[in-house]
Amino acid sequence: MKYSLILAALLGASSLVAQTPQTIGNYDKIDSLETQVSGIDTKVSSVETQVSGIDTKVSTVETQVSGIDTKVSTVEEKLASLEAEIAEMKAPKKPVREGEQTLSDGADVLISVTGQGVAPMNTSSPAQAYALAKRAATADAYRLIAEKVKGVRIDGQDLIKNMMVKRSTIRTSVRAMVRHANVVETTFKEGLCEVEMEIVLSHAQFAQ
Amino acid sequence: MRSRDGNRSITRAICSIILLSSFASLDAKEFLISYRYMVKDATLYNETLHISDSMKKCTGKPQFALILTSFGDENLKLTIKKNAQEFIDYIHKLGLHVEHQESTTNYQNKSTTILTLKTTCFKVDFNENFAKITPLK
Repeated sequence: MKYSLILAALLGASSLVAQTPQTIGNYDKIDSLETQVSGIDTKVSSVETQVSGIDTKVSTVETQVSGIDTKVSTVEEKLASLEAEIAEMKAPKKPVREGEQTLSDGADVLISVTGQGVAPMNTSSPAQAYALAKRAATADAYRLIAEKVKGVRIDGQDLIKNMMVKRSTIRTSVRAMVRHANVVETTFKEGLCEVEMEIVLSHAQFAQ
Repeated sequence: MRSRDGNRSITRAICSIILLSSFASLDAKEFLISYRYMVKDATLYNETLHISDSMKKCTGKPQFALILTSFGDENLKLTIKKNAQEFIDYIHKLGLHVEHQESTTNYQNKSTTILTLKTTCFKVDFNENFAKITPLK
């Protein structure tokens, strides 16, 4: 009796352990499911790689867009500067003569002139003629400096009689004080003396 | 206690300094100088240089000086005569008043330029062989 019970228990256990055709089918299903799952995994990984590729493409597109933005901003700045230049060109300007020197602070202006003078007819010697001509030329150079620095006063008068110009007069005058002018060169040729003279003007001399 | 002899020597020294300085000041003379010339149609006329002793003490600060050779002579007119060109150049450098008038009538031109050094006081120091001329302004 005792042995029969043990045998029955063993049989029961063996029946439990023993593979039935149904369980074998389940294992097959599990295997197929596993292969499917692995296939899905590979697909998922491929999709992930595709997504990462799309992400990199998006980032490159974003960098390109930012580059385009910066280009657009520079173009806009250029346009603004051009518009400002056009506005400046359209605005009325003070006329400035070419080569005109202006006296500014810290920069000196050099004025150079050449005065001319002739000797009188009744001189006792060529030396006297030279001396007198040089003096006249110096005076002329001083006058030229005064005219350049201070300017010339000009008056004109025309007399017209019976629809004809009888007399046309132009008067010019200048009055000035000239200091520290330097004689650069003196030449005397065929009775004409030429004195080249220079004067340096600084802003401090005129500052008040 | 100070000795009387010591005091005398100090007094002598002070007196001699005063005397020397007074002699030195006597050596410096003051002159009034004016210069003017006219240039008419590029020809010189009426060049005049007036030099006279100053009748009263001049005021003003000395400007840049000119040193002329006087050859031991204490006569300014003679000294200037001997160094005429140098002195005239110096006067030009000091500054001259320029007055110019030009007239063109029926294409015929006439011009007159007058350069003037207004009467200016000059301090003149005569040394052995040189005269130092300084304008006072």
